[in-house]
Amino acid sequence: MADRWLFQLKDAEPGEVQLVMRRVFILPTRPGLAFVGLLLVMLVGSVNYNLGLGFVLTFFTGSCAIVDMVMTARNLSMLHLAPGRAQPVFAGDEAQFELHIRNSTPRSRYGIWLGFKDEGEPRQAVDVLAGSSAALVLSRPTRERGWLAAPRVRLFTRFPLGLFGAWSYWQPDLRVLVYPQPEIGAPPLPTTGAASEDGIGTVGLDNFSGIRNYQPGDPMRHLAWRQIARLHPDDGGQLVSKNFEGGAVADLLLDLANLPPLLDIEIRLARLAAWVLEAERRALPYALTVGHRHFELSLGETHCGNCLRALALYGKEAP
Amino acid sequence: MMARLAARLTRDKADTLLLLLAALMVLLPHFRHLPWWASLTVCLALAWRGAITLRGSRLPPIWLLLPVSLLAMGGVYLDFRTLLGREPGVAMLALLLTFKLLEMHARRDLFVVIFLSFFLLLTNFFYSQTILTALNMSVTIVLLLAAQLTFQFTGVVPPLAARLRYAARIFFIAAPLGILLFIGFPRIQGPLWGLPGDANSGRSGMSDTMAPGSMSNLALSEEVAFRVRFNENAPPQQLLYWRGPVLSEYDGRTWSRVGRPLEFREALQLRKNMHLSGSPWSYEVTLEPVTRQYLFTLEMGGPDINSEFRTGYTDEMESLFRSPPGQRVRYSHAAYPAYRLQPSASPGLLQRWLKLPAGFNPRTLEYAERLRTLRAEKGDLAAVTDVLDLFRRGFTYTLEPTRLGRDAMDEFLFDTRLGFCEHYASAFVYLMRGAGLPARVVTGYQGGELNPVDGYFTVRQSDAHAWAEVWMGPAHGWKRIDPTAAVAPERIRTSLGQTLPEAAPFGLQGLADLGRDQDSWLGKLRFSLSAMNNAWNQWILDYNPKRQQHFLSELGAAMADWRLLAILPCLALAMFARKLRFQRAPDPVDAAFAAFCRQLARHGVERAPHEGPLSLEQRVRQLKLPPEKIAAMTGFLELYGAIKYGAGPTDNPVARLKSLLKQTR
Repeated sequence: MADRWLFQLKDAEPGEVQLVMRRVFILPTRPGLAFVGLLLVMLVGSVNYNLGLGFVLTFFTGSCAIVDMVMTARNLSMLHLAPGRAQPVFAGDEAQFELHIRNSTPRSRYGIWLGFKDEGEPRQAVDVLAGSSAALVLSRPTRERGWLAAPRVRLFTRFPLGLFGAWSYWQPDLRVLVYPQPEIGAPPLPTTGAASEDGIGTVGLDNFSGIRNYQPGDPMRHLAWRQIARLHPDDGGQLVSKNFEGGAVADLLLDLANLPPLLDIEIRLARLAAWVLEAERRALPYALTVGHRHFELSLGETHCGNCLRALALYGKEAP
Repeated sequence: MMARLAARLTRDKADTLLLLLAALMVLLPHFRHLPWWASLTVCLALAWRGAITLRGSRLPPIWLLLPVSLLAMGGVYLDFRTLLGREPGVAMLALLLTFKLLEMHARRDLFVVIFLSFFLLLTNFFYSQTILTALNMSVTIVLLLAAQLTFQFTGVVPPLAARLRYAARIFFIAAPLGILLFIGFPRIQGPLWGLPGDANSGRSGMSDTMAPGSMSNLALSEEVAFRVRFNENAPPQQLLYWRGPVLSEYDGRTWSRVGRPLEFREALQLRKNMHLSGSPWSYEVTLEPVTRQYLFTLEMGGPDINSEFRTGYTDEMESLFRSPPGQRVRYSHAAYPAYRLQPSASPGLLQRWLKLPAGFNPRTLEYAERLRTLRAEKGDLAAVTDVLDLFRRGFTYTLEPTRLGRDAMDEFLFDTRLGFCEHYASAFVYLMRGAGLPARVVTGYQGGELNPVDGYFTVRQSDAHAWAEVWMGPAHGWKRIDPTAAVAPERIRTSLGQTLPEAAPFGLQGLADLGRDQDSWLGKLRFSLSAMNNAWNQWILDYNPKRQQHFLSELGAAMADWRLLAILPCLALAMFARKLRFQRAPDPVDAAFAAFCRQLARHGVERAPHEGPLSLEQRVRQLKLPPEKIAAMTGFLELYGAIKYGAGPTDNPVARLKSLLKQTR
């Protein structure tokens, strides 16, 4: 691929990358080309009318353009680029890639535009003052589950005079885990015949039996936020908890294999994702089996993350 | 105050005001030659734009702007009767820039405004190319660059002073390159196409007719006519006669020239009839741009003029350009102290210089008759000295003579006796012709002021002079006779300015006179200024292809000098040293850590880019090495971690780190 050779596009480079001059490319912008035209007209005018000072003006402004060219290239070179954090997202949401630009030189860098290479005009501008660093987040919509590697980033600058545009490419070593998009209008949580150790009762909405005053030791998930929000503190507002009755809970065992095999695999995964979230919301411990991966009955962020991760990567290569 | 104002303004407004200021700087010098209404329009529109910016109101809509600009265009047409040509073009450009400022919507418009400004800056050089203009140009360039720069910031905008410094930095970094381009960029001799008629509306300089008053007009002008440099020695002041148009036709009021350019064959013949002797003075003249085509050559030299423009020579020893060059011209020539001009001219040919208008000046003709008798008795020279003696007795040299009537010669010779070089020269020639001696008026310049700073003679319009030439028989040919010298010999020995009676010692005139005294500090300053101006003209304004070629070949010769060849490696070394200095020495802690990592790699522990000292420490503990080495290694890593990520140990940590590094080996 010509682009790859010409612009020395590299695969993801781990860690911090320094933009050496060899990685910076430069071409005149449209105003820059117009400026060349202006210089030609000025030169012809000076020759024709024999204006000694006209030559001086033409050559000095021309030299300023050349200095601008060097300065524009130097505005980009020797910057350090490093990937930042990337939080998992659900398919359909925007994946957020955090990028860090560090300037260890004594020159402040202004007007640096960043964007993904395949998106055309860069959208975000950032200034990196001398000896400081800047962070910015580039986002991109997601469609399917799995790992989403950050696309190639294009840095672009026209500073200082706008007559030249310098750019450089960088493939950050950064990827985002995309969970399956939870199915909208998913069926209610499945109850299984398998009883919990306590033996009786099933899980259902009916078991919610109102709210009561918060007591130390109540799990956070049982706080009735909606009600708390309605009560003004001046009216003796206090924390209230949801009260669940019965206390007999059938174990929630989610298994990909238990879903109708006729359904598309993506829909099945989406449904499982929706159920995982629903179970988390209701603070119902759940177990998940996806293929040969099994997660024991549990609750909490880590468990939820592990489950969703397994769903995201099901059938994709191992992470 | 400015800072407070700037703080009150939003960024956009301050940026626009800066652009307006830059545009104003470009437009200001044009007010001197724009029609008054155009200057007024520009001012009003700029004020309007400033008010719009300050009040934050909207730009005028196109339906308002379009008719106004069309009206202005119509005004230009009415004023100049054309839209083409230089002057209307400049007026149009100035108005265009102004209206473009009122119609700025996109980033593109901004570039249009700045580029227009650069071009308008160039057009100002049609009118003025002095050193001051150049300084003004530099300031304006920096302002324009600052304005252009300002619009490139996307987030943080440094204060105005910092932006101006940035623009100035660009300009000064660019300056050496600009100078190199100026010297080395291949030059073409213009013009590339026919210039419009108004391209050289410069000074008129010396005229080819002489009516009463024409010389005294010039005499009041301190403008430089030309500058001369003699290659070796210079002739004395009283021999500096710069020959210009020769006037042989008199109609009773005005002298005019009749000379015609010689064909090649005629020029050869003339050369045979011209005997030059003595050691020649060779010199180079830099003639200021004038619209007329006369060259001024030191008397007396042949038709060999060396110039890049085509020149011709007339049968009256005038030198002229084939077409007026309209720019500063250099030419070189050589003159001889002794000469005999056309001694063998035939009497038929000489008739041309004997003609007098009929019916004028009866008293003068009467005197001329007496001269004719004198001439017959005692020879030509007696007649000449008789007239010069007459002038010496009771004639006064003044720049403000009384106006003369119809019989101008009679009134001058017998009534007023007040006159200037033109009066003396024309009366003398008139008398000689009346006495039967062929004679003609020669105009040109006399004298010149030597500038001790650069060795150039400056000849000013005030040095304009007229003298006579008389054909004194086959033994002598044409002889120069300067009747003014009889009346005011100091006029010839020094220059005109010093001949004139002292003006009031106070006020501005007194100040100006101070400068004439060569020894006063003001006089020295004047010479330095003049030398600077001359250098400016020679090197900046008149650096043409020929000069470039000459300079570059001289430069090439100089470069071949061994001393320069020795300097170049020194320069290269200095630049290398500078580069080395700028490569910062690595941090000793980092260097020690890098050395440690290399050592670990030898033991098979490669540090991954993300690995820190803690995880390395864990891997080090699993190495199969003597325990004291492991201890040194972990100690090293712990200290490194403390230096890098902890509060930082105080007791010379770097030395301890280095000693630990040694122990690990």
